[in-house]
Amino acid sequence: MTEQGTTHVIEVTINGRLYSRTVEARQLLVHFLRDTLDLTGTHIGCDTGSCGACSIILNGKLVKSCMMLAPQADGAVIETVEGLANDGELNPLQESFSRNHGLQCGYCTPGMLMAGTYLLRENPNPTEEEIRRGIKGNICRCTGYVNIVRSIMDVAGGHGSEQADGIVGEEQR
Amino acid sequence: MLLKSVNYVRPESVTEALDILSSNEGAAPLAGGQSLTNVLKHRVASVDLLVDISALSELRAITRAGDGSLEVGACVTYDEIDHSPDVRAGHVILAREASHIEDQQIRNRGTIGGNCCLSDPTNNLPPLLVALDATMNIRAVGGTRHVAAEDFFKGYFLTALEPGELLVSITIPPIPVGGGAGYVSLSVATDSKTIVRAAARVRVDGVIEEVRVVLARVASVPIRHHAMEEALRGVAPTAELVRAAAELIGSDVEPISDGHGSSEYRREMARVVARRAVLAAIEEGGRK
Repeated sequence: MTEQGTTHVIEVTINGRLYSRTVEARQLLVHFLRDTLDLTGTHIGCDTGSCGACSIILNGKLVKSCMMLAPQADGAVIETVEGLANDGELNPLQESFSRNHGLQCGYCTPGMLMAGTYLLRENPNPTEEEIRRGIKGNICRCTGYVNIVRSIMDVAGGHGSEQADGIVGEEQR
Repeated sequence: MLLKSVNYVRPESVTEALDILSSNEGAAPLAGGQSLTNVLKHRVASVDLLVDISALSELRAITRAGDGSLEVGACVTYDEIDHSPDVRAGHVILAREASHIEDQQIRNRGTIGGNCCLSDPTNNLPPLLVALDATMNIRAVGGTRHVAAEDFFKGYFLTALEPGELLVSITIPPIPVGGGAGYVSLSVATDSKTIVRAAARVRVDGVIEEVRVVLARVASVPIRHHAMEEALRGVAPTAELVRAAAELIGSDVEPISDGHGSSEYRREMARVVARRAVLAAIEEGGRK
């Protein structure tokens, strides 16, 4: 049993690196990532679980890190946006966001990338509707959804950018 | 956001969790936390000790019994329900509705037990569980008791749970041969807060033999509409007769008015979703 207390020592593996820290039980996981570990790629948007800017992958599941307390992550394996690039090289999804103008102000982008990463792992060949459902928990306040959907579709197996453009074209007509 | 200082503990068994809950007045169970975390942020409830039950394996199982009934542990997430072959084998409607709760992140954390214990009138699963005649299995230090879903939801954010008790699982009987279930929501947007919804379960053998019609968001808790059920019992399962029965939803229900709809609008739409839910249940039964 984790002993009862207002502070806890937790061990968390983030992007392959093990961190051990003493945390207050009341600390939100997103603050642990940003303020304690200085992993500021994960953003805080609404702080109410509505916007998805703080999305991370925890034990293989996409979650909102503002909706968890730091001690709940004890023992967890976490992936954040900082873990996507390899030695400064953008990964294919990040490249696709860049190529397809999948970001405007960039605030929602870390969450969108993690939602896109999770979606493509669960469903490597999503339809446009499945992508839209997959990012429903992520709000882009610039409303740049068309290019975000296109960015994810562009790297999805079996769906080239041409098809994505075709679907978007339909929509615009 | 900075929360009020709070104690946290992660027990290793339900027995241990119950001991802690019963001996600490300010203790509250923490499951998926997809509502409780916001409650703590807004400091609308005072919790001194969070008892994290989310990882307890005793609360995480889905079991399909030989008779086709389904037992779902209180800490099974919506996403796990959605992807469970055991759920899909006999209770597809539960998987389908779990897959329409909010968004992927919430479905990965939120639990069926939390959905019920919060007793938020907009929550998806309570009306369905009442329609499916589910039983809530509750444990305390002194033993186990069973409460029909129909009697579990007591009011806004209020259930039949007593202090120190824990909802451990939910048992859903098999959907009878010749029967089906339907669930229809009118929502603000796709997979979001509902304005009004209805769930139904029927068994048809030439005529409608058994029927449950449950309305949500017309009262503080899901309610069975007994007059509509009575009108449907023993009649042929036709669209006209179902429509006529739904017209019985009248001034006996007094929904709230809010920014998403007036009381009159909700009542009118309650007739529509109730009719469609019953027709969907009949149609599903006919396919089997």
